[in-house]
Amino acid sequence: MPKNLLSSLGELTAQQKQRLILFCVLIVELAVVIYIGMKLIQVKAVVDRVEVAGNLETTHYRNELVGDPPLLILIILSVIVPLASRRIRREPILLIAVQAVVVGLTVFVLWPLAQVFIEAFKTGYNAKGFSFVQFKRLLEKPSVWKAFSNTMVLGITTSFLATVLGTLIAYTLTMTSLPGKKWLRILTILPLVSPPFAVSFAFLMLFGRRGLITWDLLHITGWNIYGPQGIILAQLISDTPLVILILSSVFTSINRSLEEAAEDLGGTPFHVLRTVTFPLVTPAILTAALLTFISSISDFGNPMLIGGGFQMLATQAYIQMIEMYDLQLGAALAMLLVIPAFIAFLIQHWITNRKSYVTVTSGAQTGYIRKQPTWIKGFLYSLTGFMAFLTILLYGSIFVGAAVNAWGFDHTLTTRNVRGLITALPQIKNSLIVSIGSGIVGGIIGIVIAWLVSRKKFPGKGAIDFSATVMYAIPGTVVGIGYIIAFNAAPYFWTGTFFIIIIAYAFRRLPVGLRTSVAAQKQIDPTLEEASLDLGASRIRTFGKITFPLLNRAFFAGVIYIFIRSMTDLSSAVFLNAGNTQLYTVRMFRVMITGTPSEGAAFAGFLIIIILIALGILSKLTGKSFVDMFRVS
Amino acid sequence: MMTTQIETAPILIKNLTKDYESIRAVSDVSLEVEAGTLVCLLGPSGCGKTTTLRMIAGFEEPTAGQIYIGNEEITDIPPYARPTALVFQSYALFPHMTVYDNIAYGLRARRLPRKDIAAQVAEFIKLMELEGHEKKSPSQLSGGQQQRVALARALVIRPKVLLFDEPLSNLDALLRVRMRGEIRRIQQRLGITSMYVTHDQEEAFSIGDRVALMNKGKLVQMGSPRELYWEPADRFVAEFVGLSNIVPGEVLQSNAEGATVRVLGGTTHCSRPHRSNSGMVSVVLRPEALSIGKPGGEGIPARVVTLAFTGPVARYTVAIDDGTVLTVDIANPRPDQFFEEGSSVTLFLPKEIPSLLE
Repeated sequence: MPKNLLSSLGELTAQQKQRLILFCVLIVELAVVIYIGMKLIQVKAVVDRVEVAGNLETTHYRNELVGDPPLLILIILSVIVPLASRRIRREPILLIAVQAVVVGLTVFVLWPLAQVFIEAFKTGYNAKGFSFVQFKRLLEKPSVWKAFSNTMVLGITTSFLATVLGTLIAYTLTMTSLPGKKWLRILTILPLVSPPFAVSFAFLMLFGRRGLITWDLLHITGWNIYGPQGIILAQLISDTPLVILILSSVFTSINRSLEEAAEDLGGTPFHVLRTVTFPLVTPAILTAALLTFISSISDFGNPMLIGGGFQMLATQAYIQMIEMYDLQLGAALAMLLVIPAFIAFLIQHWITNRKSYVTVTSGAQTGYIRKQPTWIKGFLYSLTGFMAFLTILLYGSIFVGAAVNAWGFDHTLTTRNVRGLITALPQIKNSLIVSIGSGIVGGIIGIVIAWLVSRKKFPGKGAIDFSATVMYAIPGTVVGIGYIIAFNAAPYFWTGTFFIIIIAYAFRRLPVGLRTSVAAQKQIDPTLEEASLDLGASRIRTFGKITFPLLNRAFFAGVIYIFIRSMTDLSSAVFLNAGNTQLYTVRMFRVMITGTPSEGAAFAGFLIIIILIALGILSKLTGKSFVDMFRVS
Repeated sequence: MMTTQIETAPILIKNLTKDYESIRAVSDVSLEVEAGTLVCLLGPSGCGKTTTLRMIAGFEEPTAGQIYIGNEEITDIPPYARPTALVFQSYALFPHMTVYDNIAYGLRARRLPRKDIAAQVAEFIKLMELEGHEKKSPSQLSGGQQQRVALARALVIRPKVLLFDEPLSNLDALLRVRMRGEIRRIQQRLGITSMYVTHDQEEAFSIGDRVALMNKGKLVQMGSPRELYWEPADRFVAEFVGLSNIVPGEVLQSNAEGATVRVLGGTTHCSRPHRSNSGMVSVVLRPEALSIGKPGGEGIPARVVTLAFTGPVARYTVAIDDGTVLTVDIANPRPDQFFEEGSSVTLFLPKEIPSLLE
């Protein structure tokens, strides 16, 4: 009989075979959805009441639904919606890819974020109904409004200062003949590779109450680095490199002939700068300002370490959730944090989607060298030099501090602090598992989504693109809160598992992995893939033989970027890790608060070395210079 | 002598329609490409010809309609399972593979034994005169050679149907003429059913057995180049295919032998009968069918507006008394028979015209 069946299969037309395959795929998917449904929704018998008649106790049970029906409905919708498109229906691989992406984004991006909103409108734990009671509570707390205005003022200040500073330094590094530019370029963007709070830790080592410079060298006593001034300084060091990167690539790609044309038509140098050069770079400056604003208000580590009790939204939300166990108030605070970040993200999105006059490339290293008056040159050179000097000082003190007995007191060399890292081996292992895992998972998701959004036309593409990039605007604290609310309780109990940390990092860092992949995809002529399909290669073969070989560099860049960001993250980690999955940054943070400066420095130095190694590998893999590696972030 | 054989099949398209949101790119197109023939899809840019071709290849899904190759419907089959091979406008040669690997690509996808692949690739390398280039990367080849690799890569999988998407638009004028001759020669030698998209009327006429002219998503007329030229279905065809003067005329009388038409104050005869016995029509006067001579005699008085001499042809624009301006081509002009701009001439209508428009 099987023989007959096989031969009758052979007689089917290609069209009929196609329908048969689709049918089989749908059957398998139905089975998977039913399985997930059974996991998500369980009926449990719970004790209803106990009747006592004489000495006879009768226990009455009632069935109760345990689980997450709304999410199941969302999953079912995510599976069904792609079926509406004939193009997707026709190709099982495309169908499965789209469904997987839609389900992934729904469950791990939209659902946790939606949970933050839902929770913020609840009256209390497990309560039903909708209310503004949490926001009333927020209004009643003056500290909350203080935190909100503090966060905004600080974000705007940092953003403004970092943008001005970064633009001037980028200009100096690309358009003047400053000697040693290559090294200065590396030095000024070095802070990108370390966790932001390592900067404030180094600041404390140098300028703290017992700092090397303020105390030992200058014997200043009234000085205080703790507070907003400390946060701004630390954020300036960690956010300015991003501005430098964005502006450098724009400055180098300005078409010199545009300025020449303006000069030729009689414009004075200042007039040309005002009417041609500046309008060309304005969108990039605005983008940089908005991104540093988001980065500043999302910052968690620096305010915790150097804030000295200065109230910020991210730290307040952490305190409410983790120390006060007030999930609802924490969620309401998270909403206050998301809204400005999201508005900044939308504006930035709008700016970059408008017609761009400057194509950003990573090829050129220097732009056209412009002639400047000596006093301007002197100012730009000393500014850049000072920034580089400060970076050397900060990172130097981390490595020196790690090698001495007691920073600030006893500067004899010792290996004790480095040996102390052995106690952190479990955390190192945990962080490596999580970061490598999220790098690979995020890299794969990024490349698949990039392929879908840049190559395929199907309904709902815009929604996928948006869901995949929205995480860029969501502060790590909010991601942590969202994941806790969504997956902490039955039927998941996922908080503290490697699985959920990997997934959280993969989706949180997806936007950048996606951007590198999309940019790489756009370089590839779409007809190459069509030619492959046309010649009879399946979707999978086409992806393996044509698409992936042509963009594997972008893929590895994405993987290593996500790896680095996961290794250095603190704001989501403090919510999501647990005892046996404690991450290195969390341990490092605790050591920085409770241990000696030298112990903290050893932890920070070790993390920086791991990241430099990762960047070195990436540089080898992609054949690009070490400086270019920073560009992926 | 090469004995390459390819099993071919006709293409049949029924009521094909493609909508992009609010725009109807292809509208109810039905046509057949008979086995072994080459049909050119011709039309201005945006007329839907490339979309039609891409639907046959499987890269676009029709909104409605069916596509058959031979007896088999392929409308819902993904591109890789279709018996078609497409030669791309940009060639789409894989930049990370050698010429050999490019040509072998489709055979490897079919998991043929290595020995068979080598033999078949060698056969097509010889057919396309690419010997010695096997190890090169596509970027080391000239445009013409890249075109040959693209063609070899498409043919080696022995498709039932060969599709061309403006394959010559990246070549310079001289090479374009040579390559189209070569494509035609190979297509005829293999006897493979082909569809060829182009916006170039001369190219379409020189290689197509039949030409399908499209406009605004609709198939306007399909026929041999001669039919399109001399019996255009409407004004659009008459204007797109060659240069024409279209002027109003009046049918004086019509019978089985043909129709007598009054046009520009003169009369001419159309050998094909006209539906209505009398009435207003449009008359297509090809520039080469008109002629001019010294003033006076049995013609229409006219005045030379411009003269352009291209070598084999002297192209005049002349104006007649009612203001109508006409283009007149005098082929093989004699050096002493030019009429300068501004001079008076007599315009002669052709005695016979091939067809009339509504």
